[in-house]
Amino acid sequence: MNREQISLRNENYGKKIRAIFDNPLVMNLMPLIGFLIVLVVFTILTKGKIIQPTNINLILGQVYVLMIAATGVFMIMTVGGIDFSQGSILGFSSIIISWVSHYNIVLAVICGILGGAVMGAVNGFFHVRFRIASFIVTICTMYLFRGLCEYITTTGPVAASVGVVVLNKTWLKMLLTLIVLAIGFFTFTFTRIGFDLKAIGASENAARFSGSRPAFSKFMVFVTAGALTGFASFLNVMRVGSITGTAGTQMETQILIALVLGGMPINGGSKARFTNIIIGVLTYSVLQTSLPMVFTQSATQQLVQGIIFLIVVALTMDRKNIRVIK
Amino acid sequence: MTKTILVSDKVNKFFGNTHAVNDVSISFNSGEIHGLIGENGSGKSTFSSMLCGIHPISSGKFLLEKKEINADSIVEANRLGISMIVQEMGTLPGLTVAENIFLGDEDQFTNFGIKNTGAMNRKAQSYLVEYGFEHINASRMVDLYSFEDRKLVEIVKATYFKPKIVVVDETTTALSQAGRESLYHHMNRIKAEGGTIIFISHDLSEVLEHTDRVSVLRDGEYIGTVNSDETTEDDLKNLMVGRELGEHYYRTDFGESYSSEVVLSVKDISVPGFVKNVSFDLHKGEILGIGGLSSCGMREVGKAIFGAAYDRTGTVTLTDGTTIDNVLSAIKNSIGYASKDRDNESIVLESSIRDNITLPSLDLLAKNGIQSAKKLNRFAKKNAELMKVRMSGISQYVSQLSGGNKQKVVLARWLGRGSNILVLDSPTRGIDVGVKADIYALMGELKEQGKSIIMISEEMQELLGMSDRIIIMKDGEINGEFLRSPELGEEDLIQKMI
Repeated sequence: MNREQISLRNENYGKKIRAIFDNPLVMNLMPLIGFLIVLVVFTILTKGKIIQPTNINLILGQVYVLMIAATGVFMIMTVGGIDFSQGSILGFSSIIISWVSHYNIVLAVICGILGGAVMGAVNGFFHVRFRIASFIVTICTMYLFRGLCEYITTTGPVAASVGVVVLNKTWLKMLLTLIVLAIGFFTFTFTRIGFDLKAIGASENAARFSGSRPAFSKFMVFVTAGALTGFASFLNVMRVGSITGTAGTQMETQILIALVLGGMPINGGSKARFTNIIIGVLTYSVLQTSLPMVFTQSATQQLVQGIIFLIVVALTMDRKNIRVIK
Repeated sequence: MTKTILVSDKVNKFFGNTHAVNDVSISFNSGEIHGLIGENGSGKSTFSSMLCGIHPISSGKFLLEKKEINADSIVEANRLGISMIVQEMGTLPGLTVAENIFLGDEDQFTNFGIKNTGAMNRKAQSYLVEYGFEHINASRMVDLYSFEDRKLVEIVKATYFKPKIVVVDETTTALSQAGRESLYHHMNRIKAEGGTIIFISHDLSEVLEHTDRVSVLRDGEYIGTVNSDETTEDDLKNLMVGRELGEHYYRTDFGESYSSEVVLSVKDISVPGFVKNVSFDLHKGEILGIGGLSSCGMREVGKAIFGAAYDRTGTVTLTDGTTIDNVLSAIKNSIGYASKDRDNESIVLESSIRDNITLPSLDLLAKNGIQSAKKLNRFAKKNAELMKVRMSGISQYVSQLSGGNKQKVVLARWLGRGSNILVLDSPTRGIDVGVKADIYALMGELKEQGKSIIMISEEMQELLGMSDRIIIMKDGEINGEFLRSPELGEEDLIQKMI
């Protein structure tokens, strides 16, 4: 074969491979395939340790808080926004819950949710009212809320009442997470809210001319995300028992990475699927738990983690709708 | 003795699914003014953009003096001897007049990397004087001059270097009579010097008066070339539209054909900067045309009726006294709107046909707030098929459809919702003739069913052909009103527009 034929053949292979990736079924399944590959690879690398019951429990232990908080951020990303303040919101709501839990646990949960909602409302208000890009607003409030956490905990960590800590049961946490996911899934798939959010993410202007209310919806999405993280804080307090000023640090990046691993389109819009949350959080948690088993040094862990994220995202992300890379 | 200077050989252009220019082969002579006409969307501007290096050619070639040219930028085209005066703004704000004139050609004033601004200004000023535009100062910012003066600057910019080919793309609409005369004068000067002008205009009498030959495009295809002095405007129109459509393209009925019942009453609406105290009534079964120049405020009137202009004052009221103040109340009260900016305001481009059709009707389709996928699918399918949308299925993305089919999706969503009042802004803009005829036919049917339509349009033929009543706007105000009549002509409308 001469060079031209080879290049033609290679081009044809390229086309065929692209055609496979462009198939909508394959595209929807990519994140799931990614999850399975990660699972299989790490089962082999850890010589099966990762699928032993104790480790599965360890993985699930991380999943609950992340899954609930990611549900809120999923909605924010569907309308095309992003939120970096979720970790700080988790920290502050956790402090509120710990405080109030000494009086009444139900009241503590309600206060935690309300606190999260108020912080989300601050995000939404500045984003919608002053038309500031959501990533700017939430980077600012990330520091703002974190500052509040540190300020309150200067004299020492805030301990929750024992009543909360004894609730730290796997079945309860799993039940609460499933309830949140079920409500989220139902709202997103079977009410007009999901349709509106997707339309707004795809084209805010066109959505407005179709009877959606972009400004109101965007504000409400931030409030809801805050409230959900407020609720996730309750599960966080159960597990930790006592809250320091750094509680929830880095959670915002964990959520975003998990969603992207799950196939969430960065710019939001019609291609957002509720399953992005579940698959993404599971993939992330498997990676998080198994890396220390394979690589003992934490520096190596971070390095490998970064490389794996890049590879998975590069392979699974749907770029069709992204014209401008920001 | 005429000499061929430029030949286009089977030039094609595709934009996605749209075949904008289809195998166009035309030859242009040196020392002639060559008209290029066709309806909106017929491919004239696309054709000339390819010649000038703005769009790449899909297939085919341009031969300038028997050599194939393939400019990939305007600067490159200029170097080859081809320049263009464009339809929209062609000058860059924030630069001086001189900098605009010599844009892309600054090197002639640069010595050892340093620009000699003084020499550039003097040279520019001498050109301006030579062209008779002494009132323009080359060293001042171009922003300080009016739209018309900036067009004059563009004329200098496009022609000072004695190009072989100059494309004049609908420049005259922006110019006053004096500006036009000056443009014609320079066109003739270039012609006398052996250059070629490709003159694109919608004004057929102007085309016949100032050109030697005219080529006609229709739906991207080359129809033919005629000698201007042997041709009438009607001949050109027939070539542009195509004879077979002449008869049943528009409505053919005349006389009162709508009820006297008022369905929508617009009273004293104003939108700062666009609309001043506009009032009118819309009747049941009426097609009300609103026309004017593109900046006359008619689009904002459409948006204001649909509740989409935030700073509107005045009232929009239905028969039962309901007032329309926002998009939601408009949709709830049976008003539908198709924007001129279809891709940004009428449809969600990166979304499926199903989602687009169901979006405004979600409240009607829900049962206790719960949406059923089956019901949504059935609703979307029914309305898409009713409108004969050409699609692979309702889950196809709207971004893959042609302009005409997108517009059908827009209409399908409002008809599905059961809207009784439709505000259609430029309903056939960028739509090919076949779908155009479908849309006109649909408008006629809707009228029969007693629905009312407000049609905002820049195309006078469309206004005259479809409207029961025409309102002409000028500078944000109503400047004239006409009833449907066979005697009514374009001239009557134009008089009220300018």
